[in-house]
Amino acid sequence: MPKQDIINSMYRVRFHGRGGQGMKTASRVLGKAFFLEGFEVQDAPRYGAERRGAPIFAYVRASRKAINERGIIRRPDLVVVADDSLVDIPAAGVSQGVSTATVVLIYSNHEPGTWKQRCSLPENVVTLPFPEDTQHEHRFISTICAGAAARLSGAISRDCLKEAVQEELADLGEEMVQANLSRALHAYDLMAPYSNLVVAGAGETGETFSKPDWIELPFEPARVSAPSIHAVLTSEKVATGLWRTMRPVIDDSLCQRCGLCNSLCPEGAISLDTAGFPQIDYVHCKGCMICVAECPTHAIHTLPEHETEKGLE
Amino acid sequence: MSETRFQSLKDLPAAHLLGTGTAMCAGCGALEALHGIYDILGEKTVFINAAGCMTLLSVYPYTPFRGSWLYTAMASAPAGAQGVRDALDILLEKKRIGPEDDLQTVVLTGDGSAYGMGLSATSAAIERGLDFLYICYDNEGYGNTGHQSSGATPHGARTATCKGGHGFGGYKKDLFAIWAAHRPAYVATVVGAEPLDLARKVEKAKAMQGPRLLIALAPCPTGWDYDPRETVKIGKLAVKSGVWPLKEYIGGKTVHTKLPRKRLPVEEYLKTQGRFTHLFEPQRDEQTIQEIQARVDAYWHEFDG
Amino acid sequence: MKRTLLTGNAAAAWGMRLAGVDYLPAFPITPQTEIIETVARWIDTGEIDCRMVTLESEHSMITAAGAAAATGVRVFSATSSQGLLYGMEMLYTVAGWRAPFVLVNVSRGLSSPITLEPDHNDIFAARDSGFLQIHCATCQEVLDSIILAYRLAEDERVRLPVIVNLDGFYLSFTREPVEIPKSETVARFLPPFDPGNVRFRASEPVSQAVAVLGGGPYSYFRYQAHLAAMNATSVFEEIGKEFEEFFGRGYGSLETYRSDDAELVFVMLGSFATKAKDAVDRLRAAGQAVGLVRPRLLRPFPADAFRQALAGKKGVAVIDQNLSAGSGGILHRELTAALYGQPETPPVLASFIGGLGGRNIGPEDFFGIAAETSQAIAAGKTPPPRLLFSEGELKDVRQLQAIAGISPEKPGRDA
Repeated sequence: MPKQDIINSMYRVRFHGRGGQGMKTASRVLGKAFFLEGFEVQDAPRYGAERRGAPIFAYVRASRKAINERGIIRRPDLVVVADDSLVDIPAAGVSQGVSTATVVLIYSNHEPGTWKQRCSLPENVVTLPFPEDTQHEHRFISTICAGAAARLSGAISRDCLKEAVQEELADLGEEMVQANLSRALHAYDLMAPYSNLVVAGAGETGETFSKPDWIELPFEPARVSAPSIHAVLTSEKVATGLWRTMRPVIDDSLCQRCGLCNSLCPEGAISLDTAGFPQIDYVHCKGCMICVAECPTHAIHTLPEHETEKGLE
Repeated sequence: MSETRFQSLKDLPAAHLLGTGTAMCAGCGALEALHGIYDILGEKTVFINAAGCMTLLSVYPYTPFRGSWLYTAMASAPAGAQGVRDALDILLEKKRIGPEDDLQTVVLTGDGSAYGMGLSATSAAIERGLDFLYICYDNEGYGNTGHQSSGATPHGARTATCKGGHGFGGYKKDLFAIWAAHRPAYVATVVGAEPLDLARKVEKAKAMQGPRLLIALAPCPTGWDYDPRETVKIGKLAVKSGVWPLKEYIGGKTVHTKLPRKRLPVEEYLKTQGRFTHLFEPQRDEQTIQEIQARVDAYWHEFDG
Repeated sequence: MKRTLLTGNAAAAWGMRLAGVDYLPAFPITPQTEIIETVARWIDTGEIDCRMVTLESEHSMITAAGAAAATGVRVFSATSSQGLLYGMEMLYTVAGWRAPFVLVNVSRGLSSPITLEPDHNDIFAARDSGFLQIHCATCQEVLDSIILAYRLAEDERVRLPVIVNLDGFYLSFTREPVEIPKSETVARFLPPFDPGNVRFRASEPVSQAVAVLGGGPYSYFRYQAHLAAMNATSVFEEIGKEFEEFFGRGYGSLETYRSDDAELVFVMLGSFATKAKDAVDRLRAAGQAVGLVRPRLLRPFPADAFRQALAGKKGVAVIDQNLSAGSGGILHRELTAALYGQPETPPVLASFIGGLGGRNIGPEDFFGIAAETSQAIAAGKTPPPRLLFSEGELKDVRQLQAIAGISPEKPGRDA
């Protein structure tokens, strides 16, 4: 008997984005679309302590048979990256479990080749370029990504995608449904050349599993084994600057050194140098832009992260 | 006017004590207030925390504190403070530690705990005369679970559990008055957007003994639905519209520390937040807006008159 | 050392007094209140140097107890029944802090219906909390167990809080002769509290009891608390022997009574086990080879000691003064799990539910239990669980129901 008949072949899709970008919605639209096509489906967001702006993910499984797998998808067939600044952040886990068979879809204006080379991604990288009005379109990221993913699977019709968007977003009102729908369908159509690119994987079999390296956990005294931190300021090891898509930049020539930004920054990520000029700690600045809004002399402006030194070209 | 070392913004600490890298949302009004408070309280503190957004300040192995921390549970942070304070006093009395090892006992909870589940523990801690500082960051809802209505939610606000056309039907509880009715040493309202007022109050509270309580209005970009950059603007509007009176209870009297002489209409404040959008779109809900205005007017009339 | 008449509650207060406790957060509840009243009196007269504070609930009381222990002082507290359950969230929470202290629980049945009389459902509700549990059968054992509990809780190999359990009324309000050890001797047996892993000091900043993310670290911390609890079995045996050297009374995780050559063994907890001892003597006098095994430790569960004590027995009768709705007697279930698949496991392991809400277990009940278990041994089959409840008792209930306007024959609204 061929393996495919024994093992449930299944689409395993992982969406990567930032808190607030609607990855849960993306997974639900795609999940519903598969469901309307007659698939058994699982869709779920992955929650953590992370807040708006922090890297998060959601996932979808779809199969013609009942799905018994649960939890995080470790070996995805399709990875959708809604925010291209996440690709080279290891902590975002975009490339986790990605194999040569995995398709990676990145919502980005950069060419697939650039990503492949830069982030050692597999052969199948597809990019979906931003629409013209990036800022305005930002709030449609979730449906854009869901629409593109639906086409890449090759298993979802335009009608089912349409119905899925309508059902999942009904609470937002007709105007928003239509706005989302047109973006989702546009992304679906744009991906026509790659329809069917994603292959439903078989997953592992009993032959390929290896036994985990379980140990006998030894007793350790309470000083070691209680959930206590015997150190201070360790949170500074967390690079919350990765949450940022835009950065505040101070123009010293306009700065009056009033110190207001230093006082108001919720993160404490602005310090004053010896001359009294504010300095922004970009490792930790989450990009709330309170400093930009409050600076009395408008000495702070915003710059998209991809136009800073981390830019690709 | 008592003496303060905080006469102008220039007097505020330029170097901050609370560490960066916390899990709080970008633009968090609670974290902004906590920064200001911690700068003045300093590291000789033990924070006793109740379940809420700020539980995630200390997630193993990361902490932004230079001093100490104890997570308890949603209902009993003031009781945790009682245990810590009493134990420190015992250690001092029995000379097992020196005075240099003493700590300020600080309770840190959200409004869900302060206005609701933890209220009886707080009431009892005040009645026992516990020497502690209570900081409530009031983001007017159960923020850490996705912003459902709490005892602190204002009338008309849309929350995750009040998504209907009129928003939350109840009225924000007057926790300041409830706390003040216990006659503690000190009660004050603050907001991170007014750092000078905040610093003066923390300075004052730090120098006192007995129960001292602060409620920090904490504009919440996630729960109140606005762009994080607006946090300070919204905090200031709350004060200027008279929605969030800055005041303190001290020596049996309540005094306003910042009088909005010419109060802005409340709708200037309401309009800034997605949680009140339904009061303006698709049609203006004049009745609710007027009711909110009337309640604010009545509050100030009581104090002006 | 002097011998005097003390109630179980007074013995608990004496145990706390001798242990040199620094701090007592309290909340009154029947039948425990006498303990905190006694301590309050000693504080007033200056007989002990301890700070006591009355909280507004058991939830706050256990929080304050854990928080004070986590700051580095020796803490004692006491509660009962509904109070233990009201504090349940904090029992689990403070156990995870690895802050050692001692809590006395005076067992009382749980609501509903609300009652004042004893059974063990309250303390069994706390069995998975991370607190260790020592169960007492006499007032002497109450006093001694509190001193032992501090040694156990504070031991480097353990560092967990301990509950000392005694039965309401049967011990709490009953006076028995109790030997009060000399405080100097206790001070040698139980040295001053070493805060060890738990302390708050300006010079040693620490964040205690922080959140974790992810199942890996969570599994590590929880399992470490389990391993510490498992260590407590051998630590208890060790300090129980040492206690005997100091005070002439030894304690192990199990008490066995005439069980070595017994064919049939009663297993039960707490003060009612002395009634079982009495029944053993009377059955022995009638020529039956009956014995008793009583666990002093419920957590950690002394599985190995049980296996040894019960190996080769023909039948065991577990008498549970608790009831897990939908399952049955909890001690019976735990003992069955401990014995399953072991060599020389007794073929018959019968379950009896008795003593709920203070219902007496009389000598005739024990004789009946022995008779039914003997029949089961002869038949080679474990019988179904039995509630100790007689026809006379049902008649009494019927009379009450009649007054309450209830007719079992016509239970509908028109009755």
